[in-house]
Amino acid sequence: MIVEKRKMSKKVIKIEPLARVEGHGGIKVEIDENKIKNVEVQILEGPRLFEELVIGKTPEEDLSIVPRICAICNLSHKYAAQRGLEKALGIEIPQITQEYRHLTHHGEIIESHSLHLYFLALPDFLGYDNAVAMADKYGDVVIKALQMKKFGNKIMRLMGGRMVHGENPVLGGFNKLPNKKDLIVIKEEAEELLPFAIETIDILAELEIEDHMERKTQFLCCKPPHEGYDYYGDILLTSDGKEHPVEDYKNVIKERVVSHSFAKRSTYNGSSFTVGAIARVILLQDRLKGKAKQAFDKLFNERWYRNPLYNNFAQAIEQVVSLEGIISVVDELLKSEQPMIAKQSRDTGEGTGAVEAPRGTLIHSYKIKVGKTAAADFITPTAMFLDDIEAFIRTGGENLLAKNDVENLELKFEMIARAYDPCISCSAHLVEVVYK
Amino acid sequence: MGWIREPIPVTAKPKVGIYGFTGCAGDQLIIIHTEDEILNLFDSVDLQSFVMASSNPVEGDLDVAFIEGSISTEEEKEHILDIRRRAKILVAIGNCAVAGGPQAMYTGDEKYQARLQNVYGDVKFITNPLEAKPIDAYVKVDYYLPGCPIEQKHAYALISRLIHGAIPEPYPHPVCHECKLNENHCLLLDNRLCLGPVTAGGCGSVCPTHGLGCVGCWGPSDDGNFKQHFKLLESYGITREEIMRRIRNYGGHKILKYLENI
Repeated sequence: MIVEKRKMSKKVIKIEPLARVEGHGGIKVEIDENKIKNVEVQILEGPRLFEELVIGKTPEEDLSIVPRICAICNLSHKYAAQRGLEKALGIEIPQITQEYRHLTHHGEIIESHSLHLYFLALPDFLGYDNAVAMADKYGDVVIKALQMKKFGNKIMRLMGGRMVHGENPVLGGFNKLPNKKDLIVIKEEAEELLPFAIETIDILAELEIEDHMERKTQFLCCKPPHEGYDYYGDILLTSDGKEHPVEDYKNVIKERVVSHSFAKRSTYNGSSFTVGAIARVILLQDRLKGKAKQAFDKLFNERWYRNPLYNNFAQAIEQVVSLEGIISVVDELLKSEQPMIAKQSRDTGEGTGAVEAPRGTLIHSYKIKVGKTAAADFITPTAMFLDDIEAFIRTGGENLLAKNDVENLELKFEMIARAYDPCISCSAHLVEVVYK
Repeated sequence: MGWIREPIPVTAKPKVGIYGFTGCAGDQLIIIHTEDEILNLFDSVDLQSFVMASSNPVEGDLDVAFIEGSISTEEEKEHILDIRRRAKILVAIGNCAVAGGPQAMYTGDEKYQARLQNVYGDVKFITNPLEAKPIDAYVKVDYYLPGCPIEQKHAYALISRLIHGAIPEPYPHPVCHECKLNENHCLLLDNRLCLGPVTAGGCGSVCPTHGLGCVGCWGPSDDGNFKQHFKLLESYGITREEIMRRIRNYGGHKILKYLENI
């Protein structure tokens, strides 16, 4: 962290590297006459041009390559690609295959949320550099958090084939499905971890959350195709009460390029917006039930609409959603026959798939011509919310400067960015190659 | 690829840095995801810099630097040169650092600028983008730990040796070797496309074990008989074009030397 003092009134705060986020980024805040002049969340990781890389590949190769965009949510990328490519190729999967995908995705939500909540965000709230340093005082929480993370990884390994970049999920289903014994073990472990997930809600309920950055924003997430809470859908739901078919995403989410970032930026209705756990819990709150609903009642308040730090609270609620989801989905799977891999009905077509990655809405769109990829477009959650991070840092900075509360400005700015759980690897190659 | 065979002495509690360049962060994530070992690792080394896991890094002299990702901007090039100057031992971890990764699959086609233009238009960035290259394109690498991502058991075996001043053991076996140990039915007997014989092992032959052909994601195996394997795949009716396309998906820069004489 470097604070450069140029003149008494002019100051540039540079936070680089942006620690405890995945990938290489920084924040630059320019202050002039005690006012925030400019805020840039800088994405310094190099571009990888994934949408160009997949041109000319078979859909099967696409499905192998695109999860390499990001390790933490590799199965979300696989899932979004499956949904897009299966539409393009006319593949219709049976409901039971969808249930196996639910299980897989619950695993990734738990892996990613537990990593972020306990290891990347909680050290800020408790005043540590990292989670291991917390172990002296919060040993029990750290040990159980490691168990939670391990459990998420175990599901990803079981369903994906390995912990990161598993090739087992294929177009039309899974190449190999877990046996009943493995499924029962998963269910038992979810039951065992549920009390800790609920204890986490109680820990968070005690925390004081700062309010310096509060401002109104907009939210977006996928609308689940059933009555319950879920992490995918073919409709984009926005906080203005509108619903948009996912095929129409380019008219909903407007992208642009900025020079300080290899990630493109996005707006909805001309202004920045938020995606991720907080957007989902806000927009889908009426669908919560069971212990997740109780957790919501305990943690939710009106400030959520204006304060991104509550994203960490929303992640804790979703841990409960997913543990309960695993228990019920395993019951469903144990009752059912194993499905066959669904086959494609054509080799040319277009398809757009949307899922909720742990950190927000993820869209993959493909154009396939005679079995080869002709065009591809990916919009990742980090590209969607970067503008909103900058807007919240600006508001926070202005309010803190007005109050002359300038101690630990860097940490306060960093906490805003970290609350979103940005994934800089994901954002570093957002590209568009659909020629018109 | 070099492999230092003289032990390099390190301090009793070695200073370690773990750095991520352009990639998916999966190799660093594998280190973070060793739930049973991560506390021991933090305990047994003096962890100076691991930005993905901890704030307030210290950038000074290092006993061992672990590097993930390819070099893909001018700024990253400067950064890797700086780390090399400060580190006694430098290890490339994961396919992107070892070979260049998927972002290097079109290396040498001279169309990088066109691709960049297609994606971003004429924007001038704060740091110049560079076509992805592996770490050893810019600095000397002492040890290579391939993987996409790396495997925990290999990573911790290598880390343990290095922090005790011992020479890590190379792992020269292809995926095929592990597939045999797993007693899998060979997919090549069914005339299916599998890159196992020419791909660096260590993954435990995870794809063939799931009934899927090896995609080659750990990069080329040094002992692979590429010529013969391509001939075999062609005898199944798979075109040379398709074989070349697939082998390059994860072959990065390193694959070029194996394809020279085919």
